[in-house]
Amino acid sequence: MPNFIQAASLSLAALVLAVAPLASRAEQTRADAQKDPVLNAMLTELDRNQGQLQLKGFEKPFFIQYRLEDIDDYQTKADFGAGTGEERRRQRVVRVTVRVGDYKVDSSTARGDGSIQLASLDNDPLALRASLWQATDQAYKAALAAYSRKQAALKQVQTPPQADDFSQEKPVILLEKTVELEPRPVDWSKLVAGASGLYRTDSALAEVEHTVQYATAGFHARAVNTYLVNSEGTIVRKGQTAYDESFAVGTQAADGMHLDRSYASNGSALADLDSQEAFNKHAASLVASLAELRKAPLVEEEYHGPVLLSADAAADTIHELVAPAVAATRPELGTEARTKGAFASSLHARVLPDFLDITDDPALKTWKDKNLAGAYAVDDEGVPAQTVKLAVDGRLESYLIGREPVRDFPRSNGHARAALTGPAQPTIGVLRVSAKGGLSDADLNAKLLAMAKDRGLKNVYYVETLGPELTPRLLYRVGADGKRELVRGATLDDLDQRALRSGILAAGQDPYVANYDGAIPETVLAPALLLEDVTIRRANEKNDKLPFYPPPD
Amino acid sequence: MVLPIFALFAPFALHAQQTPTLPPLLDTMTVELQRAMGSLGKQGADDKAKQAPPYFLSYSVADADSVAIRAQYGALVDSSQNHERVVDVQVRVGDPKLDNTHGTHRGSAVNTVALPVSDDRKAIARSLWLATNSGYGTALDNYLRVKTEAEVRAKEEDTSGDFSEEKPQISVSTPAPAPVVDKAAWEDRVRSLSKIFRAYPDVYQNIVMLTAQSETDYFTSSEGSRLASPHQSARLIVFAVSRADDGMDLFRAQTFEAKTVDGLPAQPELEAAFKELGKSLEELRKAPLTEPFNGPAILSGRAAAVFFHEVLGHRLEGQRQRGDEEGQTFTKEVNKPVLPSFLSVADDPTVTTFGSTWLSGSYNYDDEGQKAKRVELIQDGVLKTFLMSRLPIASFSNSNGHGRGQTGRVPNGRQGNLIVTSTKAVPETELRKMLLEEAKKQGKPYGLYFEDISSGFAVTTRNSPQAFQVIPLVVYRVYVDGRPDELVRGVSIVGTPLAAMKRILATGDKSEVFNGECGAESGSIPVSAVAPAMLLTEIETQKQQQGTERPPILPNPSVTAAVATPVAAGKGL
Repeated sequence: MPNFIQAASLSLAALVLAVAPLASRAEQTRADAQKDPVLNAMLTELDRNQGQLQLKGFEKPFFIQYRLEDIDDYQTKADFGAGTGEERRRQRVVRVTVRVGDYKVDSSTARGDGSIQLASLDNDPLALRASLWQATDQAYKAALAAYSRKQAALKQVQTPPQADDFSQEKPVILLEKTVELEPRPVDWSKLVAGASGLYRTDSALAEVEHTVQYATAGFHARAVNTYLVNSEGTIVRKGQTAYDESFAVGTQAADGMHLDRSYASNGSALADLDSQEAFNKHAASLVASLAELRKAPLVEEEYHGPVLLSADAAADTIHELVAPAVAATRPELGTEARTKGAFASSLHARVLPDFLDITDDPALKTWKDKNLAGAYAVDDEGVPAQTVKLAVDGRLESYLIGREPVRDFPRSNGHARAALTGPAQPTIGVLRVSAKGGLSDADLNAKLLAMAKDRGLKNVYYVETLGPELTPRLLYRVGADGKRELVRGATLDDLDQRALRSGILAAGQDPYVANYDGAIPETVLAPALLLEDVTIRRANEKNDKLPFYPPPD
Repeated sequence: MVLPIFALFAPFALHAQQTPTLPPLLDTMTVELQRAMGSLGKQGADDKAKQAPPYFLSYSVADADSVAIRAQYGALVDSSQNHERVVDVQVRVGDPKLDNTHGTHRGSAVNTVALPVSDDRKAIARSLWLATNSGYGTALDNYLRVKTEAEVRAKEEDTSGDFSEEKPQISVSTPAPAPVVDKAAWEDRVRSLSKIFRAYPDVYQNIVMLTAQSETDYFTSSEGSRLASPHQSARLIVFAVSRADDGMDLFRAQTFEAKTVDGLPAQPELEAAFKELGKSLEELRKAPLTEPFNGPAILSGRAAAVFFHEVLGHRLEGQRQRGDEEGQTFTKEVNKPVLPSFLSVADDPTVTTFGSTWLSGSYNYDDEGQKAKRVELIQDGVLKTFLMSRLPIASFSNSNGHGRGQTGRVPNGRQGNLIVTSTKAVPETELRKMLLEEAKKQGKPYGLYFEDISSGFAVTTRNSPQAFQVIPLVVYRVYVDGRPDELVRGVSIVGTPLAAMKRILATGDKSEVFNGECGAESGSIPVSAVAPAMLLTEIETQKQQQGTERPPILPNPSVTAAVATPVAAGKGL
């Protein structure tokens, strides 16, 4: 089938892409790294601690890792048409991890261990080394205490751990160029002020102007250069930029129900963001939609039946339900479990319908000219990112894992990434859901209506966008004739892993590209999904009082 | 709308004071406030549906422009600036006798939002509306609870009202100019000051921070107050940490204050002070541990200032005389002697310097829009009054301009510049002789000299009332037999510090200033305290609890002469 072949060759190309960048570079050495003053200071202090750090009567560390994040951050916000300020901040933070014991049993805990210190912005070697010296000392002492606690805890359980505490990996030397924030082509403060004021400056929105309760816009740019060295010989320098422009507006319906809309345009380069006109147009449409939402009737009390998720809504659903479940971390001590989470015991079991595949492919940098935020080459433990076939024909075949092994997965596949200053944990990079025999939008709609007819349902539902925690933002009741009517005040129930496993009847063709610019940048590519039996009911949340007095003119 | 126009004229008719032109921000705040007062409590189909209107509303905007430069280990870790405007909206529902701020509900009366940094009237008014609407809802809710609690609870000890009657204040001054800081020059200065500690490798951690702030406070109220009040401050802070071999944590801190960065001491003077701190910590590390002691002591002027702030000052805050949770140490002591008769204590926010030293706790109008006043708290040892906000207490029903708090908090009675004076002052050489005489009299081999003590407010800010504690930092034994003074470490003061204050025998004749940040329930505010050295006949001390951390295992990188031989490392892919 054409779609399948296309998907397969795309995967192959992606696989080739994953290997290419590392092989084509001339082999980099430690001497190359020492030309960088930051790396040089880190290596010097690492060598000193590796050679000499030992508390009399106790064991030396068997592993030391330094991770320095050089953060250049710019933010500006605006409310109601005027800026509330802008801030540019440059900061460096070091995070040091020390392990005592050995690869089989070491001092690591579930929380993620590390000592943090602010570090010098100047490339002053003594100052950089002083921060590292302090953090290493603290981390080592904490590791000694944690190691003796773990040895005591091991004696308390019958079932020994089913995997080593720390995986063996080949050291990597990878030195990328550092990144910087692009120079400002525009006055971002003015732009966000303008967007936040559209509710009153755009004459087309006059109808809603008085009802808007909050209208806020923001722009955020961040460049992070990460320097990583460890006692096994890994040396990594990598950089990532992220740009985000957001808008949010809200009001209350006549019955007091809060109605909120929000939108963000983000990417790794300024060019990825919507043009000013496009962004303002989108923002204006959000404001206008408030009028529709206010007029929209309340959703019916309870509905069970077919629901069509747009590709946008499907991506959010996958992000919420599947992304955390495919990450493998060490299970509770003393249990037989392989790992934790919703797919903890699902290896080789079916987790999705057999026409869906899921792959995590951090080497995929673009999709149809759109930059993918979750792409990266090396993770935050210094392990090169691998393309991982997570689900094949609906069956779970693998997990995303870092250097914390679980049963049957002794090695990292380069998926451990960290939020700024935080511990590295397995996370999705670019999660792709692809369907064999995906249907066009028209066919999906037809199928939805056919189901309505078959089951004698007056109406079915279409979800266009979701908010946080899978709350419907734009939900449409679809009549038997295909006519769509916006409804409000709904919550989705039974949209869980079971619904994904046995409730997806069909999928779309073109994936929606969802870039998540959260603590760790991620991307989900997913097609529309037609589900057989989802519950939609009234959220019945407490309706706050309407404003006690009208807003100023 | 017709209503606001009438509301605009009414307050001005009440007093003869000429109202100056209001700057755009203050004008927008005032117009919107009057619209709110005119509209709230008037909506609703009938009287039953109408909510109780607020009887008081105020908007307090802090327009703050600040610069911060920070160094650690001899290099820069932060250099940033920030400009923001934040408004505190205070809504009162009920009446001055009983309102939504009663008792434990006090904190609920204020809510805070960011405002535009430009004078965009429409945006400012919208933000104020949103915040006022939210604050009014909270006020109504809390007032309902207050009324219910009043019905079920036993009669309170202090039956004063919740809000004092005061005259509105009008004063519009030019806004504070933005701080002028030569960034490159100051980055270099802060860097090199932090580098000084490289000569003291056992000082394993240090922070040097320069802050410069310009703030203009705009205040408007439903009583007709209209204020625009500027304030500038600059501060250089150093905080240095070490640890003795037995695990005891040791630290020293010092701050330098001025109106602007140009007023801070020149670099050579700062360098000398920092070197002293480094030396002092190295000496403290080697100093012997103290033993329990009960005998005479001298507090240096600086130490006495901190002591009086912590031990006396906080206990004279008005709201502490009222309420079930409070200690109420001085509540019933008005017009009774609380200190030796040669001591007087005043709090005066209206003075900006003491000699040539700039004072941190100066202000023109407090955070409730009341004019700052010099208050004679203790005269010739007799307690006369307390530090009052607009919260009345049994013995005093009006504010004396000491209602202070940080953004987001309801102001409470707080200190400003606490000034201790003495009529029994002798030169410090004489004071030292008196210490030794007293020690001999009591049969003690030595007396103690407290050169420096810390509290919760030096550089760290603590918001809990445990800031009543003082931590001695530099203490010497002064021997009767004439041997040199001996530095000791680990001293902790025992017993009621208040009792110690009654045992002040005499004071020195030169006062010293302590500037810092003070933390309490209404948050962190800048303050100062001024006092001469003091001789106490008796102070009880014990050994302070030791820390459990060992000092760093490896030496400071700044002492390692050669680079360590690199361990063989893998070569990569």
